[in-house]
Amino acid sequence: MLLQIGKTTLTERMILIRAVEDKLQELCLEGLAGDLHFSRGQEAISVGVCAALRETDYVVTHHRSIAHAIAKGVPLGPLLAEILGKSNGLNNGMAGEMHLSCPEKRFMFSWQLVGTCVPVAAGLAWAVKNYLKTDDIVVVFHGDAAAANGQWHEGVNIAAVQKLPLLLVCENNHVAGNIRSEYYQPVSWVRESLGGYGIQSDIVDGNEVEEVHLAAENAVEWVRTERRPFMLECDTTRLGRHKQGQGDLRTKEELARLAERDPLRNIKVEERQGIEARVRKLVQEALEGA
Amino acid sequence: MVSSVIQRQDQFYRNHKIRDAIGEAIYREMEANPAIYLFGEGAWVKQFYDAPRIYKTFADRIVTLPICEDGSVNFAVGASLLGITAVVDVITADFLYRAMDSICNTAAKLSFLRDTPSTIVIRAEFLTGGPTTGQRPEALFTHIPGLDVIIPSTPRDAYGLMRTALNAPGVTLFFEDRMIRDDLHQETDCRLTEQIGVGYSLVRRSGNVKPDCTVVTYGLMRQMVEQALDPMLNIDLIDLRSIYPLHWMGIAASTRRSKKLLIIEPDIQYGGVGAEIAATIAEKQPDVRVKRLGGWRAVIPAAVEHHQRIIPNEEQIVHAVANW
Repeated sequence: MLLQIGKTTLTERMILIRAVEDKLQELCLEGLAGDLHFSRGQEAISVGVCAALRETDYVVTHHRSIAHAIAKGVPLGPLLAEILGKSNGLNNGMAGEMHLSCPEKRFMFSWQLVGTCVPVAAGLAWAVKNYLKTDDIVVVFHGDAAAANGQWHEGVNIAAVQKLPLLLVCENNHVAGNIRSEYYQPVSWVRESLGGYGIQSDIVDGNEVEEVHLAAENAVEWVRTERRPFMLECDTTRLGRHKQGQGDLRTKEELARLAERDPLRNIKVEERQGIEARVRKLVQEALEGA
Repeated sequence: MVSSVIQRQDQFYRNHKIRDAIGEAIYREMEANPAIYLFGEGAWVKQFYDAPRIYKTFADRIVTLPICEDGSVNFAVGASLLGITAVVDVITADFLYRAMDSICNTAAKLSFLRDTPSTIVIRAEFLTGGPTTGQRPEALFTHIPGLDVIIPSTPRDAYGLMRTALNAPGVTLFFEDRMIRDDLHQETDCRLTEQIGVGYSLVRRSGNVKPDCTVVTYGLMRQMVEQALDPMLNIDLIDLRSIYPLHWMGIAASTRRSKKLLIIEPDIQYGGVGAEIAATIAEKQPDVRVKRLGGWRAVIPAAVEHHQRIIPNEEQIVHAVANW
């Protein structure tokens, strides 16, 4: 079953993200793009969560930001130009892939430094609740490794103390660069750390887009009604490298095993073709820009 | 015994005039601009004691946060993305080190990434009391693009500069020096009248057409220098007021005539504000001789007597000017 989101389905959006990132990866290999961070294998989270939001809800994210930007509806042309380091890009070539923002689409902030997104998102949520006084919510995406960072804890603590409408979406891919979670995470799931903050949570298979979407709808509704923080932890798999300039220490066998959980594993070639042709055209236009 | 510039805690807590001027400026701007909010650890308590009028009138615009300086600045950055003008009070200047990441890596970058930059003012005060309670980290911030750094030395400047900072897009570090003595302010320095442009120094004393020396200073040292030096000396005395942006025109206009520059700074001299001024003047005006007088590169001692020894005293200031 494909859920209708505007004019595109959830699956189509995931394919779009995959197609954009695959094309960008080609450019990386050709030396035409930089050291990019891709969400291959994690697309169901950004797509499923953003589809559960209103257009007026706010999104904040981390350095692996391309999927979230696309899922929140940031226009592709300027987005690609920015990612490719063009001065006519979304943020005039100042941001690159890791500091993207598009306030018109309420894609407010993404930041390279791990953990920073959480207190910033808490501040946004505070302003939504106490300054703008609307019933919009703020969603912040972060990885499992961010929960080892002080900024994550400071932000989560303030969100809990101030009772902020903040949905924490933890993309738990069980790895930080090439480092396994045994080096940074003392518990099995990040949500276990939230007990001390009195924040409730849910956990979902982050590679099943419809499950993510359903859980996100519930979580979004809860945050909107209760005006308190909530975490949706998504168990997921990063199928590509941490970034293009870094090797991947995982074995082929392990990657093949993870690929069995690829959210796009059942997509037929013909479903991708139309979208890929469109993406190729957009990327070409972006490359030819300033 | 040289007269003391560093005061004991029971003394410096009696210096209210600059603090009150800052409070008055913030109150005035909060009245005019409903988007101004105050953030910080224990924020309501600080306003309760320091600025009761703000506390009484704008209690709902004071956001009391936990003791987490770094998170607090990032939090204020987030709030500013939705149009809030944020005043973040980290209390003591030493605590700025805990917020270096959020100030330098987050807040300072916003104006380069946004079409409509936020206004964020980060407040801190200089104290004494020991290794992490008496440092002057101001020079570090002048190195970071995206930050303005203001250090007023009079109530009038504190008031006028704070009002300007709250109206200007961008991030401002606003320092309050608790060592500046209330009893030494001139009456004109206490008139809280108008906004003062950031980046303009103030000529405190003017020599004749050909001054013997240009003395450039700021903050605590401004008051110290005025106390120490004979008013009849033929010197130009310049109070920088903001150490970024620096008022090059103001300095150069004087050094062009005096050909001699003495920079007196309350901070560690090594790699400090004086080094930047000296280097730039030496490059632009090679016929000007430059000299610096500043603090030792030493850890702040707990004993006030020791602290006094590591920053310039009156005797050294008099000697430096007389022998220049």
